[in-house]
Amino acid sequence: MNETVTIKDKFAAALKEFGLPRLIITGFLVLLLVMAPFVGADLPTQISNIINRFSWNGILVLAMVPMVHSGCGLNFGLPLGIISGLLGATLSIELGFTGPVSFLMAVLIATPFALVFGSVYGWLLNKIKGGEMMIATYVGFSSVSLMCMMWLILPYHSPNMVWGLAGKGLRTTISLEGYYDQALAGIARITIGRISIPTGTLLFFALLAFGIWAFLHTKTGTAMTAVGSNPTFAKAAGIDVDRIRTLSVVMSTWLAAIGILVYEQGFGFIQLYMAPFYMALPAVSAILIGGATVNKATIMNVIVGTILFQGIVTMTPTVMNNMIHMDMSEVIRIIASMGMILFALTRKTEAAR
Amino acid sequence: MKEKRKLIFRAGALLIVLLIAAAMMVIGRGHTVYFDNKTLEYEGQSYEAYHRVDVYVKGERVARLGKRDRGMAEAMGQKFSMTLTVTEEKGAEPESYDVSLTLPYNMDGILINVPALLNGLTADAYLSELEIVVPEEETEESQEGEGVDLMEEVAPADI
Amino acid sequence: MKNSFLAKASVPLMFILICAFCIPIAGLSPSYLANEIVTRMGRNSFLILSLLIPIMAGMGLNFGMTLGAMAGEIGLILVSDWQIVGIPGMVLAAIISIPISVLLGVFCGKILNQAKGREMITSYIMSFFINGIYQLVVLYLMGSVIPIKHSSIKLPRGYGIRNTVSLLRMRQHLDNLIAIKAGGIKIPVLTFIIIGVLCVFIIWFRKTKLGQDMRAVGQDMEVARDAGINVERTRIISIVMSTVLAGIGMIIYLQNMGNIATYSSHSQIGMFCIAALLVGGASVDRASIGNVFLGVILFHTMFIVAPRAGAYITGDSMIGEYFRVFVSYAVITVALVMYETSKRKAKSAAGEQLARAQEEEENAGKEQA
Repeated sequence: MNETVTIKDKFAAALKEFGLPRLIITGFLVLLLVMAPFVGADLPTQISNIINRFSWNGILVLAMVPMVHSGCGLNFGLPLGIISGLLGATLSIELGFTGPVSFLMAVLIATPFALVFGSVYGWLLNKIKGGEMMIATYVGFSSVSLMCMMWLILPYHSPNMVWGLAGKGLRTTISLEGYYDQALAGIARITIGRISIPTGTLLFFALLAFGIWAFLHTKTGTAMTAVGSNPTFAKAAGIDVDRIRTLSVVMSTWLAAIGILVYEQGFGFIQLYMAPFYMALPAVSAILIGGATVNKATIMNVIVGTILFQGIVTMTPTVMNNMIHMDMSEVIRIIASMGMILFALTRKTEAAR
Repeated sequence: MKEKRKLIFRAGALLIVLLIAAAMMVIGRGHTVYFDNKTLEYEGQSYEAYHRVDVYVKGERVARLGKRDRGMAEAMGQKFSMTLTVTEEKGAEPESYDVSLTLPYNMDGILINVPALLNGLTADAYLSELEIVVPEEETEESQEGEGVDLMEEVAPADI
Repeated sequence: MKNSFLAKASVPLMFILICAFCIPIAGLSPSYLANEIVTRMGRNSFLILSLLIPIMAGMGLNFGMTLGAMAGEIGLILVSDWQIVGIPGMVLAAIISIPISVLLGVFCGKILNQAKGREMITSYIMSFFINGIYQLVVLYLMGSVIPIKHSSIKLPRGYGIRNTVSLLRMRQHLDNLIAIKAGGIKIPVLTFIIIGVLCVFIIWFRKTKLGQDMRAVGQDMEVARDAGINVERTRIISIVMSTVLAGIGMIIYLQNMGNIATYSSHSQIGMFCIAALLVGGASVDRASIGNVFLGVILFHTMFIVAPRAGAYITGDSMIGEYFRVFVSYAVITVALVMYETSKRKAKSAAGEQLARAQEEEENAGKEQA
């Protein structure tokens, strides 16, 4: 008698913690998947699309994890890391590297930028504990608009990247054909029937995800979690809170740089100027959809969240278009992802702020 | 008692606001008035167009109509006043008439046939609705109206 | 004391320097500049004034003013369709916008109460969320479920509103009603009278009980609660007031511009109004009417001259346009950082004081014993 009650209770409690918005979003996605074949959407293509988009975005969402662990909140300043990645990408092409090597070089060049930017960003966040998310947003915006000016001024010369007429100033979109388009995705691509799986990219994501998971179980990693969940205890235990927080910011920035490079190799283009402006928001809402909160995020949250988010982004347009010939996907995406972030922001936090 | 007073005040305020809104809808109803200087056939009688008609609204000349010309003026509210200076034949003396019309509420574009009006005909004869047809422009990028994708906000032109 | 004055004055001073640098390079005649500034003051001041009340109540920078702007736009779209023109059209649009603003304001206020301590980022995300709902209404429901008569404002596909809605029949009617030309500058007297009325209202409001309650809540929520003030309700009211004022302010703004950029007017206006307020020397927890007007003058001067200065220096006009966007964001970042650091300093200063007081007590106790 007692056993059935506890299982039911546990189920009800788990559902409540899962949260109504997440239930709605998951339910919605399942509905779309079920409806797809009935409305004429090609399910294998859609599934390929979802897997593809997961592979592009996974690392950007993964970049959220370190900072959530160390108590810096959701990294709305992701654009800063993205800019490091863009610098790596453009410089790699400028220096003349082509083919898959250009990807490797982009990663290598982006890394020092990410380290420097991340350190400064981390120092700033340490000065303003408690107001990280708002300031992160505006640091992101300021840096993107600053780079908008830089992309115009910096002395790039590669003919594939600059405006044809003027000869100086980078173009808004740069094609990666001949460079690292599909560099990772092409490695060991598996095709099952009509579903194409970019194994290379997924392996790369798995590698980094495993790396983060492993890190969080090391001494420094557990210190990071301690700093986030109970900063006073961490300080008392002799952990240098500021240093750990800066480390988490640097890690997050570096992952964002790698993340945008992986995104570009899947997408096929480098997007400059205002493109990175709002890129933090999809990543933030993806990890929140996956079950994370402002103070807690696991690798599983990243995987589940990215699949759900990209699933909705992919399925909604096709299903809706075939069904009611009206493309409301953009609006639905905004409402769903922003609603998710609002939900997360209004939860009671565990750590006293 | 105090609760009741508050309620009465609020209801009263709401009523006043609604009245103002209603008033605005009447006072502010915009119409575009068109004048035709065209010969009109009505009930067997033919009313000749004039050689020249000058239309003055609020002291400013709004249109100068030869035969078969059409002019227009924008109007606000239900009453429309204008002064028509008519030259019946070439070389004749111009005569001025002050005209005040009541415009029907539900028409956007109102067509007035000037000869019919000045010959004392009823509103049925001289007044009709003009469908304002908006020319379908080429659907350029800006007319697509897909809403501004959050991801594509560019530096604004002006604020 | 001196430190805090320098800190508060740093942002306006920085802007004065930027303007002083850019104005001669831009090469604009002083009368043109003056005319532009006066026009922009008339256009934007009401909107920026709407930001003052939430700051008073401790809600920080109200990024949710976008919600009010959306309500104002919906009012104007409906009025345009009903062909109500001129000033009556504006009044009607304002009346329509008020219930929508109240609804959105209550929603926003309730959510903000659930996110105490994170009001700014929450109101920021909220503006995106409501923007999604606004697009749902304006892009899909209007013309289909909500009847829109004129195809001139609908998209070719039959439902949804076009990207721009022309307000030609009420353009600058408010400004022009009583306008004075003084030394080549057109001054929209009636608009400034309305702005003046709002200023008087704000000054009066600060002294009313509700206003005092808000200031108390802004100072310290717990103390206010102990004093018997309904903190949650007061906070919601402050947001509602701000949203309603933003709606009316948006109508004033749009009647001057002459058309509505249906899908982008409101989001840009939110950010630039906040930037302007901060440039005028306001901070996240303190803002005055003087900050509003100083901010409009400095910020908009920069806005006008930066592109030209940029074009002159680098030969590329886009530089100047990106520069002014950058400066807007940078100024908000700097203001937020200064606010947070001073908040933490105040906390640690208070903590140190408490520690010292405790120490003294202990010592006094020891001596007695």
